[in-house]
Amino acid sequence: MSTASTCLHHLFEEHHVLEDYQGGVPRWCKGCGDNAILAAMQRLCRDEALRPEKTVFVSGIGCSSRLPHYMRTYGFHGIHGRALPIAQGVKMARPDLNVFVNTGDGDCCSIGAAHWIHAIRYNMNLTLMLHDNHIYGLTKKQASPTSPLGTKSNTTPRGSYLDALNPLSVTLGVQNVSFVAQAVDWIPETLFQIITAAYRHKGFSFVRILQRCPEFVGSMFEPWVHDPQKMMMLMHDDGIRLSPALQKIYKNVEEHDPSNIDRAREVASIDDPIPVGIIYRNPQVPCYEELRGAGALRTADSIRTSLDAEFDKFTIWPQ
Amino acid sequence: MDTQLRDQVVFHLTGRRTGAESAAAAGLRPALLAAYRHLESLRYDFPVVLAEGEDCVQSLTAMVDAALRAVAPQGTAGEGMRRRALRIEREIRKLVAGGARGTLFKLWDAAAQAAAEAGEEAFAKDVARVRSALKPDGEVAGCDADLPRRLIRHAWSVEQRVKARQARDRIGKLVIRLENILRADHMRSAQALQKPELQSSFGGAHQTLFDFDAMSRLLSRGGPVSGLEERRRRRIEQVVATLKSQRFFPAAPGAAAAAAPAYDFEFPDPEAALKAFRDRLPQLVELWVAMQLAEIEVEGNFVEDVHEPLFAGLDEQAITPQDLEFFPDYLVCLASAEAPERAALTAALSSGVPLKVMVQVDDLLEEAVLGHGSLALGLRSVQLASTAMTLGDVFVLQSSASNLYQLRGRLQRGIGHHGPALFSIYAGPAGGAPKLPAYLLAAAAMQSRAFPAFSYDPGAGPDLASRFSLENNPQPERDWPEESFSYADQVLQSVTETVAFTFADFVACDPRYVHHFALAPRAAWGETMLPVRDWLASPPQDPASRVPYVLAVDEADLLCRLVVDDRLIRAAQRCRESWHRLQEFAGIHDSRVERILTRERQAWEEQHRQELAAATALIAAPAAEPPKAESRPAAAAAPAVEAEPARNPDEPYIETARCSSCNECTQINAKMFAYNENKQAYIADRKAGTYRQLVEAAESCQLSIIHPGKPLNPAEDGVAELLERAKLFL
Repeated sequence: MSTASTCLHHLFEEHHVLEDYQGGVPRWCKGCGDNAILAAMQRLCRDEALRPEKTVFVSGIGCSSRLPHYMRTYGFHGIHGRALPIAQGVKMARPDLNVFVNTGDGDCCSIGAAHWIHAIRYNMNLTLMLHDNHIYGLTKKQASPTSPLGTKSNTTPRGSYLDALNPLSVTLGVQNVSFVAQAVDWIPETLFQIITAAYRHKGFSFVRILQRCPEFVGSMFEPWVHDPQKMMMLMHDDGIRLSPALQKIYKNVEEHDPSNIDRAREVASIDDPIPVGIIYRNPQVPCYEELRGAGALRTADSIRTSLDAEFDKFTIWPQ
Repeated sequence: MDTQLRDQVVFHLTGRRTGAESAAAAGLRPALLAAYRHLESLRYDFPVVLAEGEDCVQSLTAMVDAALRAVAPQGTAGEGMRRRALRIEREIRKLVAGGARGTLFKLWDAAAQAAAEAGEEAFAKDVARVRSALKPDGEVAGCDADLPRRLIRHAWSVEQRVKARQARDRIGKLVIRLENILRADHMRSAQALQKPELQSSFGGAHQTLFDFDAMSRLLSRGGPVSGLEERRRRRIEQVVATLKSQRFFPAAPGAAAAAAPAYDFEFPDPEAALKAFRDRLPQLVELWVAMQLAEIEVEGNFVEDVHEPLFAGLDEQAITPQDLEFFPDYLVCLASAEAPERAALTAALSSGVPLKVMVQVDDLLEEAVLGHGSLALGLRSVQLASTAMTLGDVFVLQSSASNLYQLRGRLQRGIGHHGPALFSIYAGPAGGAPKLPAYLLAAAAMQSRAFPAFSYDPGAGPDLASRFSLENNPQPERDWPEESFSYADQVLQSVTETVAFTFADFVACDPRYVHHFALAPRAAWGETMLPVRDWLASPPQDPASRVPYVLAVDEADLLCRLVVDDRLIRAAQRCRESWHRLQEFAGIHDSRVERILTRERQAWEEQHRQELAAATALIAAPAAEPPKAESRPAAAAAPAVEAEPARNPDEPYIETARCSSCNECTQINAKMFAYNENKQAYIADRKAGTYRQLVEAAESCQLSIIHPGKPLNPAEDGVAELLERAKLFL
């Protein structure tokens, strides 16, 4: 539009501080990686000036899914595995809201696997954070689909029998995938950069966050936390870049172009070192809510007329 | 021979005829038009089909070609289908030339009936197949006097429909969202929670199952107390009323008709259009202000203290041309006979109103006001477009009707231009010269530079180079376009020569000015006759020794030469002059650029010569010292690496940027370790805790980013053991 109207629109600007987004006091264990994810989300909301009344966090069941309680925005703590269908429903009904999904490795890759596959294909404009701690934490230590082979847990006392599922390669194998990234909760700077990029991406953003559970599997990520060489930082102008301070510590850097799907699939399959960064990004994939947007305006009159027309097909006239 | 030359020279200089070469020049046409005697059998741009959609103007030729490419099999198998389709195309052309009107499919069927031969079943089948591949359907228009008005009106109404659809969408969405706000408020109000409303909101089948009084009591107890405040509600209702009652855009086809009919935007003359714009300006401002208000209200951004005084001050001065782009344009189609004074038209164009004016020029060769028989060039109509260019933001397109198909992209740009636009089109005289079809006359006008095509698009860039374009004219770098022309001479040998189509050739097409030409007998052809192009380029020193001529063909396709008289030559000179002006405008043979180039070239040559002289002098001098080695400038110091501030190793610190907010250290001592505004930890107060706590925090920190340093109090309990443990975190 022209200058007068754009001026008018920008006169109203909100400023929020981090505390504006703090809901309850988190009940996670001391040292839990979910705290880092919460801090990063609050920073994102503040930096992007997201309106609390226009932001929704949807979750399933698990330690990860406690997050909506600790954000002072709208939230929906749903049932186990069904975070995605609820989030998709919210998005279709109110496409103007910012919808975030918090789910865990059990909630998303185990019971919620079916919804996960189709959510990727539908490519609605949501941001999903997979809090992957390689264990079922809330139910006190059972093996999850992403637990590495040999994890000792209450259901696998002699060690788990199957190789872990790789959520990144599964996501990259589904049609219409548009954004896949991996972050770790012990490098907060990259975590923040990645979820900012995920929020800004228009489409279904899948972010897998490797998160420490100090209570039940405290030594799971020890080697990677303490040895910077075991972290493969994926850098690119279209991806993320490290600050100079971090560049001194994390020297294992690979230039990775997020638009290259074949290389993305290779990188996603690497377990050790852990790749951190934006693995794949394609802004051109259309979003479901745009594809299904009706051409005509849905006025009350038009809804009434079309409903009447449909019901008239089944009217039984008195003979 | 001499007498003939003398007679010709007399005719050339005075226009008076002696001898028997009276112009049986009627029935003659310029030689270059000889090949176009039967236009119906030629495939050219016309007729065009006026369709909906992106490509609102398509030529029949292109459509038939596309259809044949889609359905006809390759090679000889498809030859039959192709021949039949082309036969239909020829029939349609004949029908349109004869004045038939109608849509493409209607004319196609009529032509199929006319061209069908008895007993040819394959004909009907093939023709039907090609017909099904033709898309889209639309009105067919040939190149006649009515074409400019139809074409521009069609392009304008397509654009208007697109604008109306977008506007309806935008306004409709705003209305829905505003009404949602009002409805949500109503549903929370005390009135909506009363029994009658609750009852009516349920379906009929389950009414008996509920006690609505109890429901009403329950719902009213806990609900929010306040609703929309009165001022905001009134504001929203007013905006909704304005948006719903707007008359600028018609309702969607098929939807319920609005209360008042939409405004009309086509007017017979510019004054009426301007008056209508001024009359509707209050409503326009009202609608625009309502839309701004609505867009802010639906986002919940309206702040009364800030926005209300601003909106109170908004009036018509605040509306910019970009805002006017949203609203429909005004169209005025003028035939030259009704053309108002130029001043009125230029005033209308410079007013900034989004007015699209089409002026149809009928006659380029009107007699001058002075009336002593010298030809005026239709100065008014040709200069109209040039004047309009200087007005600044006006899109100007001048063209003859024959070229309109080629310029359709430019035309659409003009219709879509946000400011005023002028289209000056020549479509051949209204009466029509009986011998030549209107298409040829229009094309001749453009070829002969009497009515060249140019466009001035203010939206294409900031300077003349990007805005002005002469490119659709044939051979724009030449004075007159030249074609090669083959004929058979007296001994039936083929001869080819280059013939230019000049202004004089164009005048030769017009039967009114036949007295300016004299037929030269075959015997007189020779060195003394010059083509008009050469005559104009360099007039001979001795006017009594040469005469100019144009090549023409008669009904029997026999070549003739017509001597041209001086008045016509002078008119041709004037035409050439104004073409040169246009060329310079377009940057062709730009005199200033050529002067700068010559000057630069001379300066360069001078410098080159001096360098050459200096070099030869240097070689000649033997005592020259060996050239010194060029000392490289000292390499610039490498940019200093950003040095970190030297850290006092005894001071405890936390690498805050790497903190993952895990609460380990803050739970040990919330006064010593605090979170910053990004919820990452730092040492807030070193004195608020013991060294033991620092070391314990360093050990429990999962990322090992706490560095305890040295203790403040060296006499603390167990300091030796703590120092030992702290060594890991140095």
